[in-house]
Amino acid sequence: MIAQLERMQQQLEETPHLLGIGRLFSETVLLQVGDDEYYLTFDKGHLVQVAPGPSKKTPYRFAFHTDADALAQFWQYRPAPGFHDIFGLVKIGRGRITGDILMLVKNLRFFKAFMALNRAQEA
Amino acid sequence: MSIEPITGRYVTVTVGDASRRIYFEEAGQGRPVVCLHTAGADTRQWRHLMNDAGITVDHRLIAFDMPWHGKSLPPEGFETQEYLLTTAAYIETVLAVIEGLGLDRPILAGCSMGGRIALQLAALHPEKFGGFIAIEASDFQPAWYDIDWFHRPDGHGGEMGAALVSTNISPFAPEVERWNTLWMFMQSGPGVFRGDLSFYTQDDSLIGRLGDIDTARTPVHLIVGAYDLTCTPEDAKRTAAAITGATLSVMDELGHFPMSEHPVGFRPYFVDALTRMT
Repeated sequence: MIAQLERMQQQLEETPHLLGIGRLFSETVLLQVGDDEYYLTFDKGHLVQVAPGPSKKTPYRFAFHTDADALAQFWQYRPAPGFHDIFGLVKIGRGRITGDILMLVKNLRFFKAFMALNRAQEA
Repeated sequence: MSIEPITGRYVTVTVGDASRRIYFEEAGQGRPVVCLHTAGADTRQWRHLMNDAGITVDHRLIAFDMPWHGKSLPPEGFETQEYLLTTAAYIETVLAVIEGLGLDRPILAGCSMGGRIALQLAALHPEKFGGFIAIEASDFQPAWYDIDWFHRPDGHGGEMGAALVSTNISPFAPEVERWNTLWMFMQSGPGVFRGDLSFYTQDDSLIGRLGDIDTARTPVHLIVGAYDLTCTPEDAKRTAAAITGATLSVMDELGHFPMSEHPVGFRPYFVDALTRMT
């Protein structure tokens, strides 16, 4: 998962319009995949740190909880209904959002696009 | 260069005790089909079908912007009002436009909140219509989000609304149409999407009226996309099952805005629906 997140970090740097959308986003986000935790620290839209957990000392603004299989399906080229969107995962019971959800909503386009950076492209 | 066959004009009607200047577009000739846009959007969602010569050869498609939407201005004094759409005002507006345009028992095709009001009209005013095509429509869905997210002074409601509704667009949708669809939400006036959703997520009065719909008199066909997480296929199936004689089509590769997000994919379902309106 660290390798995938670091690849997304690199892709984010190569996506200028996305950095522009996230230019006011400087927060730490907890991504929980199964029992594994990853703390993603963004600064002005740049992902500046990917730190594996667990950690009870790292403050975060909001968290997205899912499981490895759901995330793998989310990253498919054309995911099945529900697996195509992070809110979709929540609706089908394969994802959960905790923390400051309003902060997520204010930056929803950015965070959705970031999470989709690892999505497979059309062959 | 090309000039599309769609023409746009304005009609002024009375809703409640006030006049409303309504923008409408039309194309084609033959049997009239009034097309209702979704919450937070406008007539542009229907432009692909209105430019489809195979459909407009024998159907007159008419779409209008609800007040507060698109090119229909909000009413006088809007600056001191909270916009909250109601079932009564929505019904009155649709009927006023149909009367104002002199339409004789048009087919009513509505998507999302437009589909919801189409089913309300099927129950309450069937004699005024020739049939109902309810797209991404169901009896009721409570909000799975906070509608107040989309109207606040410290955020752009349109951008947040677009990001939210992108949940309901199919990954099969062409990218250009995905973003054209989202642009309408981004352009939506402050508080308009919230006011539409107030109607859509809080008024459950249709549930008790579904049994009143007489499909022997006016046909009802529902269409729903598998990628619609707001009105899911299960929601539409439940609704269709409660209307004796209603029919339903499920679109495996489409979402909540089929005529806008994926017009090519939607076309055969819409053509099929029109053939059922007899």
